[in-house]
Amino acid sequence: MQKIPLMLAEAGMVLARDVYRNDSPMGIPICGKETVLTVALIARLDNLDVKAVYVEGHPVWTDGDHSLDDMLLDLEKRFEKVRSDPLTSKLFDIYAEHLKRSMGDDGGRKAE
Amino acid sequence: MDEKRNELKKIIMDTKTLPTLPGVINKLNSLSENDKSSVQEMAKIVSSDQVLSARILRLANSPSYGFYRVSTISNAMILLGVNVVKSLALSSSIFEIMEKNSVGLWEHSLGVGVAANLIARRLALPECEEISTAALLHDIGKVIVSLKCSEAEAQIRRTIRDQQVYMWEAEREVIDTDHAEIGGWLAKSWFLPDKLSEPIAFHHNVAQSENHRIKTAVVHIADVLIKASGFGNSGDCYVPQIQKIAWDVLKLNDQILAEVVEELEDKLVEVKNFSLELQGPDVPTS
Repeated sequence: MQKIPLMLAEAGMVLARDVYRNDSPMGIPICGKETVLTVALIARLDNLDVKAVYVEGHPVWTDGDHSLDDMLLDLEKRFEKVRSDPLTSKLFDIYAEHLKRSMGDDGGRKAE
Repeated sequence: MDEKRNELKKIIMDTKTLPTLPGVINKLNSLSENDKSSVQEMAKIVSSDQVLSARILRLANSPSYGFYRVSTISNAMILLGVNVVKSLALSSSIFEIMEKNSVGLWEHSLGVGVAANLIARRLALPECEEISTAALLHDIGKVIVSLKCSEAEAQIRRTIRDQQVYMWEAEREVIDTDHAEIGGWLAKSWFLPDKLSEPIAFHHNVAQSENHRIKTAVVHIADVLIKASGFGNSGDCYVPQIQKIAWDVLKLNDQILAEVVEELEDKLVEVKNFSLELQGPDVPTS
C-alpha cells in the first residue's frame, strides 16, 4: 500500500483504503477501497478536493527506482555531517525506522 | 568582502530593485498601522487587485496552513491574520519566481511550512499561522541571491559541490553573508513584525533570536526535519545539526519527534500534490 498525491494517480491503480472528503474525514466514504481508478474517477476526486489516495502496491517511485537499501544509503549521506551529534542522531534513527516500516512488508520493494 | 556585503545590503534595503510590489501593499501598510481600520476594509483593498488576491488565496490554501477552503480574502484575514496576509502579499512575487525557477526550493519551503505547522500544533503554541508563514519565508534570501548576484550564486553552488559544505557556509565564503541574514534584511525592509523576521534571520542560529526564540526554534527544527526527509531541494543535501537551545526551548523529546516525523511524512504526500498542481499538467507523471 502506498499513499500517493492524486496528481500522480493513474487509471488502473487500485484503491487500498476508502477515500473520504477532505472536509469531513469522519463522514461517509466517497469511494470504496478495491475500486479500480479510471480517468473520470480521478477527475471527480480532484473536483471534490481530494489531495492524496492510498493505492495497492508501491506504484509510484520518486527519483527513480529505489530499494530500501538505496534509501537508507541516501539517508546516511544526508546525515553524514551530524551522525556524531546525540540529538540529530536520534532523528536519524527515527527516519531509518520510518523508512524500514513504510518500505517493509507492507508494500515496499525489497532490494533485488 | 565587506564591500560585497554592503553592496548587497544596499540593494535589498532599496526595495525599488526588488520584484515589483503592487501599490496595494502601501495602502495595506498604512491601514494596518491604524488601529481603527477594520479587517473588512483591508480585505476590500487587497481584493481590488485580482491577481494578487488569487496568489494570496493559493498560498492560504497550501498545506502549510491546513485549511484548504479559504475562498475569500476576508476569510484569509480572519483565519490567518492580517500579518500573514500582508506577508503573503509582499512575498507573492518572490514565490512566483521560486515556483518558476527553482521548484526544489519551493517544495523545500512548502515542506518546512508544513513541518513548522505540525510542530506548533503538536506543542499547542500560540500564533501557529505566523510560525508557518515564517517557515514558508525562511529561505527567501536564497531567491534574492540568485536574482541579484547570479555570478556569486554559481560560485556558491561550485563551493558546495567541491568542498561539500552547507549552503550558508559557502555563502559566507563567497558573499560574506548568508541567506538567513539577507532574508532578515528583506523582512525588515518590508516592515514585517519581529515575530516573522527573527525566525527568518536566525533559523541557522537560534541563540541569536532574543524576542521570538520559540518561533525561531520551530522554524529551525522544521528545516532540519525536511532536510532529513530529503523532500525538495534547498541547495545542499546535508541535514543541519539540531541546535540544543532549540530542543530545550521547545521541550522536545524522542516521542514527540517520532510522532511529528510520522505525521509529517504522511502530510508531505499532499505537499507534493500541491506542488504538482502548481506546475501544471506538463510534468511527467512517473
